[in-house]
Amino acid sequence: MTEERDPKLSRRYRELGAEEPPRELDQAILAAAHRAADRAHAPLVAPAGRHRWYFAFGAAAVLVLAVAITVQVEQRPDAEALLPPTASVPPERVDRFDTPAEKENKAQAEPSKPLADAGPPPARERRKAPAQQAAPAASPPAEVKPQAAEAARADRLEARQQQAPAVEPQNTQAPAAPAPASRAFASAVALPPERLLERIAELRKEGRHEEADKALEEFRKQYPDYRISEEMLQKVERKK
Amino acid sequence: MLAYRGGDARAFETLYGRHRARLFRFVLRSIKVRALAEELYQEVWMRVIEARASYKPSARFTTWLYTIAHNRLVDHWRRGGLSLVSLDDHDAPSSMPDPAHHAEAREALARFAEALERLPPAQREVFLLHEEAGLTVPEIAAATGSNEEAAKSRLRYAMTKLKAALADD
Repeated sequence: MTEERDPKLSRRYRELGAEEPPRELDQAILAAAHRAADRAHAPLVAPAGRHRWYFAFGAAAVLVLAVAITVQVEQRPDAEALLPPTASVPPERVDRFDTPAEKENKAQAEPSKPLADAGPPPARERRKAPAQQAAPAASPPAEVKPQAAEAARADRLEARQQQAPAVEPQNTQAPAAPAPASRAFASAVALPPERLLERIAELRKEGRHEEADKALEEFRKQYPDYRISEEMLQKVERKK
Repeated sequence: MLAYRGGDARAFETLYGRHRARLFRFVLRSIKVRALAEELYQEVWMRVIEARASYKPSARFTTWLYTIAHNRLVDHWRRGGLSLVSLDDHDAPSSMPDPAHHAEAREALARFAEALERLPPAQREVFLLHEEAGLTVPEIAAATGSNEEAAKSRLRYAMTKLKAALADD
């Protein structure tokens, strides 16, 4: 410590009094702390009483996503089968999956599905060899990759959209009303604080002051030790 | 705080017991009205509870706590503009038996309190963080979002002015 205390100054300061918070205030704060601890790990932004929904719907969203991806992976070979041979899996990979008997069967079935041969084996065959299915699933052909990523993104988006109404159930009753700030904030919770402030500033700019007020309040709850710059404060606080 | 973040409510009780009086006095002497001070004090602790999940032990809990208190005070000042609690809100110190001495000491204390009240808010806050909360200059700088030089300079100015008030004793 580079600074020294002045004993006389300290003594005089102590003489100002040793006030303490009232007992009822202590009790109220401790009760709130106990309630919060009982609720396990509460999410950062949701108001009290809604916490458990985050976890329930979070889990549901993960499940939906997992199922969607599985279905996507299962269906992918069929989609690939429709592509021209050059855009699909190299022939040697097909050979790796096909036993001679299967090849024979395929040759017999050729007239009925002429394009199927060009692609990888259908999902049911890959299910028979689970150890081998990882490779094609993990590295689909280059042309298909962006589609799969897009589909996965769409799934995630869908899962989020399913989650959002559950977080703020009252929103479903008034779909035409603008989304409340808490909802917007909840969806933006993964953003860094600077981005969140920018979003609040945008709300303010658009004249959505109530939403901005709520979002700012949520922000301050989530980041109580975050120091908002003067410049940003001008943008996010309601002007008097 | 980490234990409380993990769900141990008794850990919070320990923390609270350790910091309650000092934080309360810091808030009380930073703003004028006791009722407001109580409200703000409660608000600071509520923020601590709400933000427990985001707490990162990168600094001492004390610094984190007073950073939150500082932010709440700044919000408060921005809303209204407040000064230190007035002497009328204080009970006279009880350990002064001699009436003459009592009157003299009261007067000296009043001068000190007045000098403290007259300090610019930033200097007063730095002094309170140092004297009441026991923060070091680097911790004060971290809690108030300033640099160490500024914090040190503010503390020096504050102490010089308060010592001058004591010199009149």
